[in-house]
Amino acid sequence: MLVTSEKQAPPRSRTASSTLPWVTTVSRLVLAGVLIVAGWGKIGTPVLSVQSVKAYKLLPDSLATVVGYGLPILEIVIGVLLVVGLLTRVAGGISALLMLVFVIGIASVWARGLRIDCGCFGGGGQLKPGVEPDYLIDILRDSGLFVLGVVVTWFAPGRFALDSALGLAPEREPYDDMEGDEEELHERENL
Amino acid sequence: MGKAVREQSVRDRIKAQREEQRKKDRLRRIATVTTVVIVALGAIGAGWWYAANGSKPEEVTQALAPVTASADGSVVMSVAGVEKPVLDVYEDFQCPACRAMEETSGATIKNLAAEGKVKVVYHPITIFSQDVNNGVTRGNSLRAGAASRCIPGGTAWAKFHDRLFKEQPAETVEGFKLDDLVAWGKEAGVTAEGFATCVTSQQKAPEQADYSTKILQAAGLSGTPTLKLNGTEIGNDVAFNPADLRKAVLDAAK
Repeated sequence: MLVTSEKQAPPRSRTASSTLPWVTTVSRLVLAGVLIVAGWGKIGTPVLSVQSVKAYKLLPDSLATVVGYGLPILEIVIGVLLVVGLLTRVAGGISALLMLVFVIGIASVWARGLRIDCGCFGGGGQLKPGVEPDYLIDILRDSGLFVLGVVVTWFAPGRFALDSALGLAPEREPYDDMEGDEEELHERENL
Repeated sequence: MGKAVREQSVRDRIKAQREEQRKKDRLRRIATVTTVVIVALGAIGAGWWYAANGSKPEEVTQALAPVTASADGSVVMSVAGVEKPVLDVYEDFQCPACRAMEETSGATIKNLAAEGKVKVVYHPITIFSQDVNNGVTRGNSLRAGAASRCIPGGTAWAKFHDRLFKEQPAETVEGFKLDDLVAWGKEAGVTAEGFATCVTSQQKAPEQADYSTKILQAAGLSGTPTLKLNGTEIGNDVAFNPADLRKAVLDAAK
């Protein structure tokens, strides 16, 4: 058996090993879609996105400015990496981490009784009068996305990933092993 | 050569080849990952630059266009004779997003008016209701709005307007104290008789509240800041992008 990765793939049942990569791919795409839409909605108005971060009253102003300017583009870049399946494990890890931070942020706002728009998709911080925030839905959504991020990180890179094409995938698929055996046979024949 | 020895040498060669291949693969992986990381960081840098560049404010380069307060409390800033296009600016002195809009696009609005390209109409309103932060936020906004109504217009009004945004307190803290408002007005160059009394007695507060209710409904505002160009709301992506805002106004002036 030809094994180039340090870690050996854990043995899985045949059905699990054929559907799991697809689950990863779907998770990647959902997560990427949300991140790209969210980032795109904010990147044109960094001033508003800084406002949204400040509305959480969690970070000092200078840091809120950095996050306000940096987060939208970070979301877009991570989203693109997830779509094409490059550095999948890292991108999945960062998105899971982001979602976790969002959940904590929203929960903290809820606990402190602040009335804010989560700013998730480009809203501008303070809620308009008469609008009630629905923190639970935001938290549930981001928790779901966090789970997807964990799935992507755990079972990277899934089908249709550049990681596999470029030989960056940490695990070899079963058919790769078969190819490896064939190579070995060729080598023997040539001798 | 015996069969066993031959097989052994074959094994060794295969092993060496694999070792070689493994090294090559490893180098290639490192190179690929490094490239991707560099490209990703570059994209982040470019996106940052794009965001920062788009929201870079103009500087006020010339004397302001004449500023006159109307009876209803709206304030017009335009060169004499310029009647269109009309840019309505709905803002609340206590609203952080309005402050952000002023910091980003305030100079562009002033410049466009001074260039005679647009008639600017400011509507300082109070959008916060009494149930927000136990009325602290609304109180701040009403005091500031009422104080601005004590100024009949002129550059003093514009300076006071800018000062209020600069001194904007947090929404949860009582700010815009009456004494401060009087002092800032004097520093802005307000000479009107009775300005201090007008501010400290909060004579204009009921007017400010009524005007706000009326405007919020009449203009169909969903929040502040809102910019309207010839009655049509301008999206935040334009309102918070000085270059785009300038272009939108100039296009409307054609």
